[in-house]
Amino acid sequence: MKTVVTSGKSGAFSAVHPAAAMVYFLAVLLISMFCFHPVLQVEMLVGAALFCITLQKRGEALREIGFYLPLFLMVAVTNPLFSHNGVTPLFFLNGNPVTLEALLYGVSLAVSVIGVLLWCKCCGRVMTEDKFLYLFGKLIPKLSLILSMALRFVPVYLRQSRRVIRARKAMGLFSGKGITDRVKNRMRVFVAMISWSLEHAMETSASMRARGYGQKGRTNFSLFRFSPADGVLLCGCVFLLAVVWIGRAAGFAAFSYYPRTGGIGAAPADLAVYAAFGLLSLLPFLLEVKEVIVWSCCVSKI
Amino acid sequence: MELLRVEDLSFRYPNAGRNALDGIDLTVQNGEFVLLCGPSGCGKTTLLQMLKKELAPAGEKTGRIFYAGAPQEDSADAGEIGFVRQDPESQIVTDKVWHELAFGLENMGVPTDTIRRRVGEMAGFFGIEGWFRQKTDELSGGQKQLLNLAAVLVMQPKLLILDEPTGQLDPIAAADFITTLQKINRELGLTVLLAEHRLEEIFPIVDRVLVMEDGRIRADDEPQHIAARLTAISPDHPMLRALPAAVRVWQEVRGKGECPLTVKEGRDFLHRHFTGSDAPRPEPEDPEKGDFAVELKNVWFRYEKDAPDILRGVTAKIRRGEIFCLLGGNGAGKTTALNVIAGLERAYRGKIVIKGKPIRSYQGNSLYRRNLAFLPQNPQTVFVRDTLRADLAEIPETMGIPKSEQADRIGQMANRLGIASLLERHPYDLSGGEQQKCALAKVLLSEPKILLLDEPTKGLDAFAKQGLREILRELKREGITLLLVTHDVEFAAETADRCAFLFDGEILSVDSPRRFFAGNSFYTTAASRMARGLWPDAVTCEQVVACCRAEESRTGRKTDFPAEGKL
Repeated sequence: MKTVVTSGKSGAFSAVHPAAAMVYFLAVLLISMFCFHPVLQVEMLVGAALFCITLQKRGEALREIGFYLPLFLMVAVTNPLFSHNGVTPLFFLNGNPVTLEALLYGVSLAVSVIGVLLWCKCCGRVMTEDKFLYLFGKLIPKLSLILSMALRFVPVYLRQSRRVIRARKAMGLFSGKGITDRVKNRMRVFVAMISWSLEHAMETSASMRARGYGQKGRTNFSLFRFSPADGVLLCGCVFLLAVVWIGRAAGFAAFSYYPRTGGIGAAPADLAVYAAFGLLSLLPFLLEVKEVIVWSCCVSKI
Repeated sequence: MELLRVEDLSFRYPNAGRNALDGIDLTVQNGEFVLLCGPSGCGKTTLLQMLKKELAPAGEKTGRIFYAGAPQEDSADAGEIGFVRQDPESQIVTDKVWHELAFGLENMGVPTDTIRRRVGEMAGFFGIEGWFRQKTDELSGGQKQLLNLAAVLVMQPKLLILDEPTGQLDPIAAADFITTLQKINRELGLTVLLAEHRLEEIFPIVDRVLVMEDGRIRADDEPQHIAARLTAISPDHPMLRALPAAVRVWQEVRGKGECPLTVKEGRDFLHRHFTGSDAPRPEPEDPEKGDFAVELKNVWFRYEKDAPDILRGVTAKIRRGEIFCLLGGNGAGKTTALNVIAGLERAYRGKIVIKGKPIRSYQGNSLYRRNLAFLPQNPQTVFVRDTLRADLAEIPETMGIPKSEQADRIGQMANRLGIASLLERHPYDLSGGEQQKCALAKVLLSEPKILLLDEPTKGLDAFAKQGLREILRELKREGITLLLVTHDVEFAAETADRCAFLFDGEILSVDSPRRFFAGNSFYTTAASRMARGLWPDAVTCEQVVACCRAEESRTGRKTDFPAEGKL
């Protein structure tokens, strides 16, 4: 029997219900993409990096630094070379000023790009195709069945098509003489595969009818269960998102780079926004840590 | 209690000349295990489909079908009767195993929590837990068919109908599947109606056997009495050839008393009545002759650089004009070996010589012109056109044969294989056996000297196998070398000149079928296992019967058993 090879390992966050996980990722990505406040950005990057590490094997994370570091430097350096806004020139290049503000903005951009990339990567690892399918299915039940059937059909189709091509090769029908011959041959295989697909679909639809497809009141089954813990997580996400959003809308935790970098606010409301987003971005990592602690407690009790 | 009753059912497909079903009367009791057998095209599939109203074909129908006492039209839901068909692949609807199991229950609007419980229960019963979350595409053929069965059973049917469910499986997967059916019938008391042509394992475990012929039920009795019933209709009834080895031998030597069904019973029967004193002398070992059509010299193959080796130094010499069978279990590398010989894969070490020339020296398509032809496992893959005639014409066209001559060649080939009446049909509309003959016609049009066949008996019934055997012998007489890869030990024993056993990428033994199977204790024919202690060299039913007859005539003992057995 084949064993399923999953890339990396699945962390504690992978067990979260898809709906809660989706809301979480949307919340984090939304804030990450629109906030350029240094504190929020650092929190976002640290959260993403720690999350990524929990999802990967040991060596993998180290190797990836080799990819992200040059990318970081490139983005950070590119901005001050082309943007000359800001009032604090560091030095002149070809008669243009390279400013401190532009450099800081470049660093901020780079943090943002890499942070979002890392979050997307985590999202891809956690939100596997069946979770997306499930979420679609909740919205449009018919579509999810069609997608599932399509995912089933594609490999079967490709395999049959390869078999036909091999059979023809062994009959000496793939002569390789001239392009017209080859196109004609491919065309024939393609046309034949259409009739094969129809034939296959007839059989499949008989199997569906035999199992009562087409009756009223079809339900949609999935392996995911929405547990109370998922509810807590979901509410927590929404609450933290609201804190950050309202705080920002009220003008707290704001930061500007041009013309001169502003100060980092330290009013209680600012601190509340930092804390809320910090908690939000570190949530998956904290979950993982909790899991490890619970596990080692269990083991030590045995 | 009676679960199913069919009264005088006749059915005719639109525009058909004769009835597909003709006056069928049939009852099935609750908890019975009923086997339906008969040659391909006798109406088995039509009858089974008529029993499930969602699958009933369109046409003229007379007679009535009662299900659980009520007319079929009134019966309620689709879950009551489960139906499993031959092709494991096309019955699977969704991409994940768990989803496939839940599919039927979803359709019936069962609430999610109930589905969860029933699916879990079913996965446990079938031992599916290990691959529950896997993609359906990653499963083996046997697993796919078990999944199809489980996906039907999860709907808790009262009657399970199966139409040749093991036809596309290898012998081990087929035996597993049949064991599961037996378990379902015994432990759950589920009523099972099964059409099947591989009878060796199934015959001993069923309660009743129905034999169909030309749309009628010709025999309906317990398995012990079927041979006698058929003999009463005609002493050389064609269906007799399809029965298990023990039944065939017993019937041929006109055995007395209870008919043996299993190898064990057949063995007891032989040991009671025969002493085995006339064991024929073992065949002399035949010397290696020098004229070889295909030579493999220390061939190594793997699919990818880092993948494990599939062939590990295969060495074999296939003589010109012989029928050579390559046997072996799943994953032994049989099909890969055939692909390497056919030039579809390239060995990374070793030498392959076709008709005295290394395979690499055949330029372009010259290997496939008047040299070597390959019949794939699935004959459907050979066809791409709308009519069989157009498909066959592809070969002479590319060989550059003049138009005027093409039609002649196709006509000759069609007559030779008895498919002339099928030439205007769509290849996909033909039955499995017909498709195979037509595919064979197509590959033979390239006038090969060597013919490679991959699992040619897959899905064929006993009659089609007999037909195939005759065609192969005819080709051999014309001097064509035949190389078969097969799981089917019975077919190999009756057809081959030499057999080889491939295991773990190596050829372990090569010999004539008699010596080959006599040397194996497990991997051998049912006839050989039965006659082992008496005539170690007898490996087919014919050979066992011949030994029995020889002993009878020597001892002068007339086995004048009454022919009717116990009726």
